[in-house]
Amino acid sequence: MAVAGVTSRTPCDGIGHEGIRGMGITRRQGLLGALSFAAPAVLPVMADARQNGTTLRHITGNTVNTLDPTMLGATHESFGVSMNVYDRLVTFGRKQSGSIWTFDPDIITGELAERYEISDDGCTITLHLRPDATWHDGTPVTIDDVKWSLDRGVSARSLTAPQFSSGSLTSTEQFRVAGPRTIEILLPRPDRLALANLAMPYAIMINSRLARRHATPDDPWAQQWMQQNTAAGGAYRVERFTPGVNIILTRNDAWGARSAGTSPFFERVISQTVPEATTRASLVERGDADIVIDLEAYDVIAMMARRRVRINSVFQSNCFTHLAFDTQSPPFDNVKVRQAIASALPYQDMFTASLFGRGHPLFDAGWRETPSDISFPQALPLATDLTLARQLLADAGFPDGFATTFSYATSQATTAEPMAALIQEALKRIGIRVDIRKLPDAEFNTLEAEKRLPFYTDTAAGWIQRTYYFFYLYFTRNQRWNFSSWNSPRMVDLTGAARFETDRARYEDACRKMIALLADQVPLIMLWQPNMDAVTSPDIDGFTYQFHRQIDFRSLRRV
Amino acid sequence: MSMMQTFRRRIGARALASLPALLGVIVFTFVLMRVLPGDPAVYFASGPNAGQAEIDGLRHKMGLDRPMPIQLAHYVAGIMTGDLGNSLTTGQPVMHDIQARLPASLELTLTALGLSLLLSLPLGIVSAWYANSRWDQCIRTLCTICFCIPPFVSAIFLIYVFYYIFGLVPDPTGRINIFTPLPHDITGFLLVDFLLTGDPAGWREAAGQLLLPAVTMALFVLSPLTRMTRASLLTVMNSDFIRTARAMGLPTWRIVTVYALRNALSPILTTIGIVFSTMLGANVLVEKVFSWPGVASYALDALVASDYAPVQGFILLMAILFIMVNLLVDILQGLVDPRVSME
Repeated sequence: MAVAGVTSRTPCDGIGHEGIRGMGITRRQGLLGALSFAAPAVLPVMADARQNGTTLRHITGNTVNTLDPTMLGATHESFGVSMNVYDRLVTFGRKQSGSIWTFDPDIITGELAERYEISDDGCTITLHLRPDATWHDGTPVTIDDVKWSLDRGVSARSLTAPQFSSGSLTSTEQFRVAGPRTIEILLPRPDRLALANLAMPYAIMINSRLARRHATPDDPWAQQWMQQNTAAGGAYRVERFTPGVNIILTRNDAWGARSAGTSPFFERVISQTVPEATTRASLVERGDADIVIDLEAYDVIAMMARRRVRINSVFQSNCFTHLAFDTQSPPFDNVKVRQAIASALPYQDMFTASLFGRGHPLFDAGWRETPSDISFPQALPLATDLTLARQLLADAGFPDGFATTFSYATSQATTAEPMAALIQEALKRIGIRVDIRKLPDAEFNTLEAEKRLPFYTDTAAGWIQRTYYFFYLYFTRNQRWNFSSWNSPRMVDLTGAARFETDRARYEDACRKMIALLADQVPLIMLWQPNMDAVTSPDIDGFTYQFHRQIDFRSLRRV
Repeated sequence: MSMMQTFRRRIGARALASLPALLGVIVFTFVLMRVLPGDPAVYFASGPNAGQAEIDGLRHKMGLDRPMPIQLAHYVAGIMTGDLGNSLTTGQPVMHDIQARLPASLELTLTALGLSLLLSLPLGIVSAWYANSRWDQCIRTLCTICFCIPPFVSAIFLIYVFYYIFGLVPDPTGRINIFTPLPHDITGFLLVDFLLTGDPAGWREAAGQLLLPAVTMALFVLSPLTRMTRASLLTVMNSDFIRTARAMGLPTWRIVTVYALRNALSPILTTIGIVFSTMLGANVLVEKVFSWPGVASYALDALVASDYAPVQGFILLMAILFIMVNLLVDILQGLVDPRVSME
């Protein structure tokens, strides 16, 4: 997925710390001397970055560009901030595997809602508001605020409406106030994604009286005002927001004080933009920053050896790196060509070279015809078999191979570059000549959206981790996220039926068929799920990998 | 006519003469940004489920769905009222962003230039006075080394040594420790503002943050300044009036600083002007490495995202600054050497 606000890559990243370490002490002293000559007595006494332990300093290479996550063009960091500043009606649970916490896609609990019920036919979701919830300005949360927020989601021109439509939430009439603290959501059919959609960053609950005061006839949903201001009631309030530089949050104590609430540990959270990855690595290792999640893999590996920081490595379960073909144009419209390439790739070598093995492979699965479970993304039975690859290519009518291009975005170069070289070399063995094209991000995204790349790599993350949703989002319809422009009537039938299927066995059967169809037709080769390395000071605990791949400050604490 | 009036008239004439150039810059960058591959709407409408409707919505919001001449007319009309459009990267008006970020870049560049001059003028003088001696050789070697090491390499090296290993400087994240309250925004130059508000602790802190990035940049421009000082002085030193001064037994320091340097200053001033303009735009890597919230890194982020308005605004700003710096250099030339006239 294209990630807005990409950190610029500079060649200096190639300098590891170890290399410079070997220099002699004399050189250091010499430079020290030269420097103190140039500017004497300016070296200040270092201020302790976190005078008391209740301030968290987060550094990131990206920026927050809006306080309203539903704005067209909101960056990923903006989603992360909004999760901490706004409440949604419901939220995903979290689970622990080993020492690592991750979100639990199968458990949905109340957030601003105290509880919810789903009717037997699956067409009505009834949500009950917490009795003592308040907004940041101290006024109580009313059911009209909830109604207004949901109406805004389906009415305003924002990112919410298309997301909500995936859960059959399309019209204001579907949101019915059924009591002073009760709202009913009426669905035309029992859509399995309706409830999960209410946990998305786009489904923020807004202080409607405050927001409406800043609405204008041209802007009835106060979208302009909410870019720079908040009308929220979540765990943190925005103390200061300097776009492109930093954002400072302070804890909203009323949030933790409400019934069954837990107060976040940190009183203050500073989220600061530090564009250079090497600088971020130095900061967290020196103890001047508490948490960073966007470091380069080689920095993380070097840090592991030095053991000064805590590294929470978790594979991103809802994310996948893939190779996509343009299945609408020759030669990749021929399924045998795709299968040939899928049989020719050196998966394990690519995995090692790109990620240093730090992730979860999606190749070499044990099953052949049908997958054993319906989890997705899951490993597919893809393996290297050059004889088979040559045979398939000959059957496809390309015994002498052909020439094509392979593209990737500059921001992904550290992982894509070694991968591209291996692909080029492997495909040469079966006669396919690959010309590697490294494109600036904006150009890459444009070509990708316009479906003009024959063969490329990208990484995608789906927020609702349901097998049906992944296939609906990435493998059907003529839309941007159908990376390989795949048009399979069978896949359309399977996803269409699975969406409203209430019988569990039939749903699982459909999901198995989708996975098997993908493995057979390879419109896109799933490679792996990269790790997220959340590097923190040793005393930070409670990091939870979230579906939105940003930090939930509410769960962190210092021990 | 008094001297002031002459100056004013000349400055006015210069400003008028530069208008066509500015207009050319505006049109050129406007067209260039749109010709370059990459669609900002596609880049920013990248959320999950954001489809063609959202891309079109964003294009409409940015006015990109209108014909290019009309877009250009709107843009030029906006510039007349001080509106440079909105940045998608920060979600702010470009004018606001530039106002907030230009002082950061200027403060860094001016400090670096100052540091560099402090070093390069004496080095250049020594080099010229003892031309082809061992001192001269050493200085030439130093200049070559400084010029060869790219600023981002020296930046990372300096951070590694002075921050990571020895902890002598504060963490390289911007203009001020994030926990320090900022002074009231008077000039936007932190060092000046802290002085004006009488906060020595804040001033020291801001100076500490400024030190490494300024040294990095100063080292990079050390070479052209030193070399130009040396070359220019050498020419002057061989002229008759210096030989006369020597023959009359004037002290060396007086010959160098009063007679030689003043006559050699003209090409040095020109070089300073060029170096300054180059530094403002070229310090993007230094700004990136030190998380310096300046205009160059702002423009680079925008360029990566194909965010038109900030890049156009940045280039326009650079053009204006370039014209102003040149004008200033010309005025100074006139003061230094009355033989040089602005006409």
